Amino acid sequence: MTHPENPETAPDPAGTAPPSGTPVQPAPGGARSTGSGFGRVLVLVYGIFAVSATARASIQLLRDWHEAPIAYGLSALAAVVYVVATVALARGSRTSRSVAWTAVSVELVGVLAVGAWSLLDPAAFPEATVWSDFGIGYGFVPLVLPVVGLTWLWRTRPPQTPSTEPKDLA
Amino acid sequence: MVLPLVLLVVALCAALTGWAAWFVARDRAVVLKQLWGGAVIEGAIVLQMIVAGVLAATGSSASDPVKLWGYLITALFILPVAAVWAFAERTRWSSVVLAAAAVTVAFLEWRLWQIWNA
Repeated sequence: MTHPENPETAPDPAGTAPPSGTPVQPAPGGARSTGSGFGRVLVLVYGIFAVSATARASIQLLRDWHEAPIAYGLSALAAVVYVVATVALARGSRTSRSVAWTAVSVELVGVLAVGAWSLLDPAAFPEATVWSDFGIGYGFVPLVLPVVGLTWLWRTRPPQTPSTEPKDLA
Repeated sequence: MVLPLVLLVVALCAALTGWAAWFVARDRAVVLKQLWGGAVIEGAIVLQMIVAGVLAATGSSASDPVKLWGYLITALFILPVAAVWAFAERTRWSSVVLAAAAVTVAFLEWRLWQIWNA
């Protein structure tokens, strides 16, 4: 735990979450925020991908559109998905949560589909997109990220359906 | 862009990552001193931009200046944004955020080097 000789350390709120996960900020209705604790790291990574995918897609669409319109269009789709997922996960309200579920699911389908397509038909992808070859240019983070995102959304879900939340009933 | 400058920023990022990782291990949140460390990296990136600008003006620019500047500007913005985002969280996860941001800047530097030599 924290050491008393370190005065800079902020007073530890209840949320110094062990991996088992106590709620960092108890949201109304028992839902855990999607943007704090581990979620803060997740939102940062999503934000970085939102920025890099947007930058890459902008250059491809504005300058090299004629080279591979479909591939670069998918690059732009990836950018939009990352931006939406970032904002939705950071906000973490009930509506944002549904938006995040959709965005991250689309992301998972996208990276799998585009990854497979880019391997089967490399000619369609003259320049790499975020999702090409399952995100190999980004250390496969694009492939892992949606799985982590969905897991996080599931783990922080509000206890709406009592049967699926035995922990809260106990 | 010159290799020494890229290596300098990567080394600084590695140092900040190590510092933040040590804080993660000790279950501590980001402290102000680490943000000063981030500011040093920012200074080095600004220096890179100046050097890139001077080199471009003297005719030895990269083959793809749009990409080069895209990466430079992105690298410049990551740490300040991550710092604000990390500081709002007073748990060890803020240290993970800082470490992740520093690793990202180091990755962008590697790409910068590739683009410069393309």
